[in-house]
Amino acid sequence: MAANEKNSGGIVNWFDTRFPVTDLLERHLSKYPAPTNLNFWYLFGFLMIVVLAMQILTGLWLMMNYTNTAEEAFSSVEYIMRDVEYGWLLRYMHAAGASAFFALIYLHMFRGMMYGSYRKPRELIWVGGWVTYVLLCAEGFTGYVLPWGQMSFWAAQVIISLLGSIPIIGEDLATWIRGDYLISGITLSRLFAFHVVLLPIMIIAVVFFHILALHEIGSNNPDGIDIKKHVDKDGVPLDSKPFYPYDITHDIYALGVFLLIFCSVVFFFPEGGGYVLEYVNFEPANPLSTPAHIVPSWYFTPFYAMLRAVDFALFGFTAKFLGFVTMAAGIAIFAALPWLDRSPVKSIRYKGILSKAFLAGFVVSFFVLGYLGAVPPSDLKNLLAKVFTVVYFSYFLLMPIYTRLEKCKPVPERAPGH
Amino acid sequence: MRLLFIILFFSSFTFSAEGDFNCGTIECDNFSADTTDLASLQSGLTTYMNNCYGCHSLKYSRYNRVAKDLKIPIEIYQENLIFDGSKPGELMNISLNEKDAVEWIGAKPPDLTLEARIRKPEWIYTYLRTYYPDASRPYGVNNRVYQNVSMPNVLEDLQLNLSAAEFDKVIYDLTNFLVYVADPSANERKRIGVYVLLFLLLFTSFAYLTYREFKKELK
Repeated sequence: MAANEKNSGGIVNWFDTRFPVTDLLERHLSKYPAPTNLNFWYLFGFLMIVVLAMQILTGLWLMMNYTNTAEEAFSSVEYIMRDVEYGWLLRYMHAAGASAFFALIYLHMFRGMMYGSYRKPRELIWVGGWVTYVLLCAEGFTGYVLPWGQMSFWAAQVIISLLGSIPIIGEDLATWIRGDYLISGITLSRLFAFHVVLLPIMIIAVVFFHILALHEIGSNNPDGIDIKKHVDKDGVPLDSKPFYPYDITHDIYALGVFLLIFCSVVFFFPEGGGYVLEYVNFEPANPLSTPAHIVPSWYFTPFYAMLRAVDFALFGFTAKFLGFVTMAAGIAIFAALPWLDRSPVKSIRYKGILSKAFLAGFVVSFFVLGYLGAVPPSDLKNLLAKVFTVVYFSYFLLMPIYTRLEKCKPVPERAPGH
Repeated sequence: MRLLFIILFFSSFTFSAEGDFNCGTIECDNFSADTTDLASLQSGLTTYMNNCYGCHSLKYSRYNRVAKDLKIPIEIYQENLIFDGSKPGELMNISLNEKDAVEWIGAKPPDLTLEARIRKPEWIYTYLRTYYPDASRPYGVNNRVYQNVSMPNVLEDLQLNLSAAEFDKVIYDLTNFLVYVADPSANERKRIGVYVLLFLLLFTSFAYLTYREFKKELK
């Protein structure tokens, strides 16, 4: 109250005495103290908010013209592409937007892994981000089914049939999810409902929590130091700068660079070499003809490679079920990072050689599995997929050991160059 | 150890590259589409409507959209290229139904609106030029790109009466038309794209200068 009474009269004051607009905006935006040593890796969160907004807007307009039935879905997408004014732009932006969202979230997650942003006291921020990622996977999958092309149909068939591998309840569960004994128009319209209502609401809610929690706790930084240890007389960290104008100008510059890349794809390579829009998906769904190679979108291929790598039954479980569990574990294990890392330091800059080697192994395995998941299998590739699945999981599962064994460098008290 | 992985990683690319040809039993011929060449698109459309449209619909496209994009006056288009009295605003559907098609030819000829996006244009271009006599097949012809294809060599007359170069040009135009009709907004998209990127370059330059200015202040 005391602060608000200084601005006598006016609309802003009227609102502030009833709802602290100015205070909220200052705390979360204009005066939010961002560490001075933030770098390139701290731009992706902002870019994702822009992409989220873009997906909601383009999605809204696409939805006005899309028909969610098995008979009409495919032709309604072509109707959007041909007869709706700038429908092609909406559709290409939405498709490229999905790929962009995943590219950005992977970079954003990797930043957290490099600089230990998941460590105390940011565990909930990390887990909130991970929930967003899982929801985004569901959003990407459901959206992929909607054009009702060949790959939409068969990818849905493969993914939902995985649930059928769960012992005892599997088949019933898969039937319940599909709403039918096969992927059908019933499945399509329920996935549509998830895609446009349930999942977006959940994503927005979790993103809101993620950002709120971040702004309460404060951003980590590339050195993993606690900037709140050294504050000025107003309680503002010495190694920080206000979001406005210092961070926002950096973010807007990054947005320009991002949009240059994004719009190059949308306007000149809308199929993205078959990675943004797959060629097979320009053929309408045909339950009687299976495509030669069923592959998921590029952002799922690392996990798809893990699924295929497990080709042996064990302890009475089928290979399919074990593959499904491995794939799910590959996604789930990110959430456990805050409790797996026992290092005295946060950032990779001060961690020892073992942490660096395992992180490098993780990156290599992610790319190799991503490649292997996108190409037809062979014996050699299957062996490689097994090896790199082990490398991938060793980064996480051995972390409690190697982070305690290695010798770390001392972390400075203040941000470098303060 | 990591070097070993990298070697293994790249060797897997070479394994996948060898083996199958990208056009059935042969390599595809080069094809470079030019959807700004209206004369070529008009010639391709004419070939399509006279030789292919009896069996292959273009059911996601509309007559008047094609007329507009290819700059053909709608009256001329209606007189010469609409054979069944359809209205110009209608979708390019054909009267051949699935039941008859299966009875007469054995399979329903696919709609070709998106064919150039499903298969590569160079595939279509090579396919239509590689029919050869094969007495063991029902129509006495076979194809090097699509083995045991059920479609007869519809363009045989053209192939026999034209020189090789002339025939290639006919097929080039036809393929070019299919590339156009698969993504009819492509020309407009690229035209707008240039302005979008120019604007973004300008925007990003100013955004960079602003960023640099504030960064200096921080030091």
